Amino acid sequence: MTRPLTRQQVLHATRAGWYLFESPDDVAAALTQSRRTFLKVSASATGGLLLVVASRDLVSAAQPAAAEAFQPHALIRVEPDDRVTIWASNPDMGEGTKTSLPMLVAEELDADWDRVQLENAPLDRRYGGQGVGGSDAIASAWRHHRQAGAIGRQLLVAAAAAQWGVPADACTTARGVVAHAASGRTATYGSLAAAAARLPVPATAALKDASRFTLIGTRVAGRDVAAIVRGRPLFGLDVRKPGMRYAAIAKSPVFGARARRVDAAKALAMPGVLRVVEIAGLPNPTHLMPGVAVVAESTWAALQARDALEIEWEPSRFATESTASLRAQAAERLAAPQELLHASGDVETALAGARHAIDATYECGFVAHATLEPHNCTADVRGDDCWIEGPLQMPGSGRQVVAAAIGFPPERVHVLSSRIGGGFGRRLLSDYAAEAAVVSKAVGAPVQVVDSRAGDLQHDYYRPFAVQRLRAGVDAAGRIVAWDHALATCSRNSYRQDPRPPSSTEVYGSYVGAVKAAQDLDPDLVPTRIPHARLRYAALDTGVPTGAWRAPSHMAIAFAIETLIDELAARAGRSPIDLRLDILGDTRDVPPSAEGYTYDPARMRAVIQDAAERGGLGGRAPEGRARGFAGHFTFGSYCAQVVEISAGADKRVVVHKVTAVIDCGQPVNLLGIEAQVEGGIVDALGTAFYGEVPIAGGRATVANFDRYRLIRHREAPRLVEVHVRPSRLAPTGTGEIPLPPVAPAVANAIAALTGTRLRQTPFSRDGWSLA
Amino acid sequence: MASFTLLVNGERRAVDVAPDTPLLWVVRDALNLVGTKFGCGQALCGACTVHVDGRARRSCTLPVSQVGAAAVTTIEGLSADGSHPVQRAWVEVDVPQCGWCQAGQIMSAAALLAEKPAPTDDEIATALNGNLCRCGTYQRIRQAVHRAARLAGPRSDGRLA
Repeated sequence: MTRPLTRQQVLHATRAGWYLFESPDDVAAALTQSRRTFLKVSASATGGLLLVVASRDLVSAAQPAAAEAFQPHALIRVEPDDRVTIWASNPDMGEGTKTSLPMLVAEELDADWDRVQLENAPLDRRYGGQGVGGSDAIASAWRHHRQAGAIGRQLLVAAAAAQWGVPADACTTARGVVAHAASGRTATYGSLAAAAARLPVPATAALKDASRFTLIGTRVAGRDVAAIVRGRPLFGLDVRKPGMRYAAIAKSPVFGARARRVDAAKALAMPGVLRVVEIAGLPNPTHLMPGVAVVAESTWAALQARDALEIEWEPSRFATESTASLRAQAAERLAAPQELLHASGDVETALAGARHAIDATYECGFVAHATLEPHNCTADVRGDDCWIEGPLQMPGSGRQVVAAAIGFPPERVHVLSSRIGGGFGRRLLSDYAAEAAVVSKAVGAPVQVVDSRAGDLQHDYYRPFAVQRLRAGVDAAGRIVAWDHALATCSRNSYRQDPRPPSSTEVYGSYVGAVKAAQDLDPDLVPTRIPHARLRYAALDTGVPTGAWRAPSHMAIAFAIETLIDELAARAGRSPIDLRLDILGDTRDVPPSAEGYTYDPARMRAVIQDAAERGGLGGRAPEGRARGFAGHFTFGSYCAQVVEISAGADKRVVVHKVTAVIDCGQPVNLLGIEAQVEGGIVDALGTAFYGEVPIAGGRATVANFDRYRLIRHREAPRLVEVHVRPSRLAPTGTGEIPLPPVAPAVANAIAALTGTRLRQTPFSRDGWSLA
Repeated sequence: MASFTLLVNGERRAVDVAPDTPLLWVVRDALNLVGTKFGCGQALCGACTVHVDGRARRSCTLPVSQVGAAAVTTIEGLSADGSHPVQRAWVEVDVPQCGWCQAGQIMSAAALLAEKPAPTDDEIATALNGNLCRCGTYQRIRQAVHRAARLAGPRSDGRLA
């Protein structure tokens, strides 16, 4: 994925909002200033491009090797006693990066995986891009990490060949040993470390052909699992520093207000309470929200005293906002002209002439991230330096935000990402790191900021509320001929005060010119072969904080599109699979993308057909059950699912089986991919049925898991079957890809079983629940 | 503040904390046993599950003043070396994703197996229904509990070894 950027790509990349540079001009300057800097481009969780900067001379920038140790790259160290250490460059929030990324290094190094030790890497550009988001960690590291391993292997082989006086290409490597078959000689990597460390480090080395992979494509257990099951301190909230204080922060219950008057007398009188610190916030509320922090000697004291603060908040212009008011606003927006994103053919004439036409409105409520590890971070500001340790998904942009919050130069902010107890997009933002830094600076001690579940749920950056109106028509031959899609949503881009169009975070694609060709939009938005199609967007005016939520925007869009296609098929008396395949197009319909991932309809076709067959879509479901189908292309990977359900008259749904097929290119860790698909389906299922934070009086109305329901053991699918398609194409992600098909597949199954079409999430709004 | 002497993982530990402090924060902040996790503070998610006299309890709503002389076992005390059948099964099945809930899941599963050495799918789902997993690892948890049951094998009295 490494290649030079065009100006257009730079602009696109900076739209993502979490990147190392502040502005497109900075990026352009960096491009021209240093020939030793290259830029890596990949899709981010906003669907924009994530920009990370790495030094071209990673190798020579490596720290001096310890005596006799071999460090051919910042990611690798081989010691004379055969210990091999690989740095886990990117944080792991459950998606398995701590295992899968080092696997890339170990594969090319031909290290003995069972004896490789892993260390968490601090934020340092020598490790390459260190964020995780947009399901792009594997795709971004794919060449970089393998290159590091290949360089190490090449030097170890060269050292052995020189010692033995044989050609390097006559030597082989496996499990940490170099062998020369003709002479029968072998040497362990450790025994070659000192000699290899004296060799000049090449800029590149040849990579293995995929047919020679021994680790990539196998099932590898998570490297932190043994520590997790023993309760070892791995997470942000487990960080302990000498003299550390605990802080809890009160924020305005009504979104967007500051404290006008604070009476802290009661709080300060409580045992163990040390200080109260007001936090002004930053202009961009995704960087730091205003609040009042209580600093105490224990978590419990901080949480109790926070609730004892008496605060008068400024009035907010959003104080009367509610989910209902946003729904009314969306209806107005959908009735008025909207931003035109795509237009082809003559939609109105085609709709008027259609044999069957459907005009439907879909609504998706606000969703919280509800990471099970609550909001927390630890900071230690001393003198001119700030150390941050905590659950940061994007340590690079975290550094920038912290620096802005405490007025430090970014290079004096040092970040170590801990293991992350769930991200789901919440930890793309680093507001909690800024909070910890501000409070630590104020009290002159290490501070761990922590929030209660109520605070976590009521001051989240929610998945945007979205209303979509779709109109579509099928002709006499049973083909979709007209498609009109209008969205009215809260815009994440507007909330973070980004001047670029509000649609840029809500409708993915290329933003060249006012009206885009279909192939410049995210492919599922406008199915390739519908002759008359239109896509429009309008942003809602709102004070509700919004942010990326696992498979952002894809969730709402896939729900509407995939249920509408199913409904059109039923109306036209056609198989929903055939109807989809009609409009899918093929490889030549979608030119290679200059930005992000290229969508290949042929791969989508294969995934759809595979899932339909494995899920038994053509056959009859057992008595009392029905099956539903959906598929979606998300951030470079393809996933399709068949769900089999039954339901009682009480609208309680049993999910008997989910059959999922995923194409994510070359599988790296099969066990991890299967886990992501299994878990992602469960997450999306619970969210489809229950996920909503209702807004009333300008505030979130849920405070804990009693009213913000998450899916539980008893409600989980009885069986999730995962099929990973074999592939030698460059790998793409899995973390978000399994989610978008779930809600529409279940809705389509409910329609098949009961005739009822669900048009809003969560399904609980219409009385449905899981059994 | 008040002084309490607790029996945690087989050791007597003296702490000086406010009497209403939940056991969760005593073990995490005062005893530095951070394996027990905070998730909700209202006994709704199970992340904080420990054993009190062998039974699974939510430590986030159990005031330290009510613990008395009871034996408290946290994830760190389930075994000295990760060899408890449930821990071994969790590793074999590769259950965790983010891992935050897993100590609570494991403590609930261990308590279940101590009562029912060979639980059915339904018994597992019911016993662990109070333990939320935000990553959705329920299927592997179920497999791992069955695996743990086989690893442990029944004792002569039918209880878990």
